[in-house]
Amino acid sequence: MLINSVILVLREVLEAAIVVSVLLAVSRNLRLSTRWLLASLPVTAIFILLFSSNLDAITDAFDGAGQEVVSAGLQIAVFAGIVGVVFITELQRSGHVGSLRPLPLLMAITVICAMIREGSEILIYITAFAASGENGAAVFAGSAIGGGIGISLGVLMFAALRAVSAELSARLCVFLMALIGAGMVMQSTMLLEQVDWLQPGRELWDSSALISEQSISGQLLYAVFGYEASPGLVQVLLYAISVVLVALAWVLPHHFAGVRDAH
Amino acid sequence: MKGKQYALLGLFLVSTLAAAKTPVVELEIRNHLFHPEEVRIPANTKVKLIVYNRDATPEEFESYELNREKVIMGGRKANIFIGPLKPGVYPFFGEFNPKTAQGRVVAE
Repeated sequence: MLINSVILVLREVLEAAIVVSVLLAVSRNLRLSTRWLLASLPVTAIFILLFSSNLDAITDAFDGAGQEVVSAGLQIAVFAGIVGVVFITELQRSGHVGSLRPLPLLMAITVICAMIREGSEILIYITAFAASGENGAAVFAGSAIGGGIGISLGVLMFAALRAVSAELSARLCVFLMALIGAGMVMQSTMLLEQVDWLQPGRELWDSSALISEQSISGQLLYAVFGYEASPGLVQVLLYAISVVLVALAWVLPHHFAGVRDAH
Repeated sequence: MKGKQYALLGLFLVSTLAAAKTPVVELEIRNHLFHPEEVRIPANTKVKLIVYNRDATPEEFESYELNREKVIMGGRKANIFIGPLKPGVYPFFGEFNPKTAQGRVVAE
């Protein structure tokens, strides 16, 4: 039970921790206050409580598709938030003074959306199994260890992003945000296929022999960019489109600046 | 009726027919075990799994091979569409009790 709890909580925490650490690095790179993160924590806690305590009703909504639809909505919101963050950041870097104002709120919303689902799953797991006498201590200890490792990896990533030069850090952050955002979109397509809202395309390849999704490297790759060993056509297409959208949000502000300077 | 409306009607009929033909397979979670452990389904066909959680505790149906994950609260059921799958064996497990709650879908 101990190891199960470590793995389960680590998987959930890692994904959210990576989103938080990258956005935190973006924030620090722009010399913004990181109060948005502190402010978003209690709001996240409220949403986690609401989501997990109403999961029955959420699951039954939309003719039994509610859990997937809400989760997919949250993941797409994270992606939209990431596109917005990249666009606003690059707008500022290309010389638009004062364009950063909406950024803290946008980052807070993105982080809240990234944490609700994972947090609810952890809460549902702990409240159900920690109460069961014999395993209670193992569930608590395992969850604490898993959460600790996940947060540590997030801190490590933040430190790494801050340790390199400002220019490299900015590029790495955009690169990571593109992967994270596209991974979110890909996961949301799988959820929508799960409830038959989206038709699965044919499987394009199967790389499970190369990197299994169960392996540590597979889990890490999944957390960072939504690695799937056997993705379908629709998933790969949407993944590619998502990466292109983030790239456009990165390039367009500079293009506009170039056009403006030429006049 | 205009062409677009015909197309919509056609789409509706096709989707209704497709929905009507989707085979349904039911399984249960009892004492953190899947019953049956092995689910046989036709290959290359979309199938609707209905998973009943008879335990009081929640479970998360999870499968890397099927790309599926869904939390099922205690005493509730969940619909999960899978496939069309190539012939093969696709393991699934209960993420909250992965040691005991294990099963597989066999597409043939």
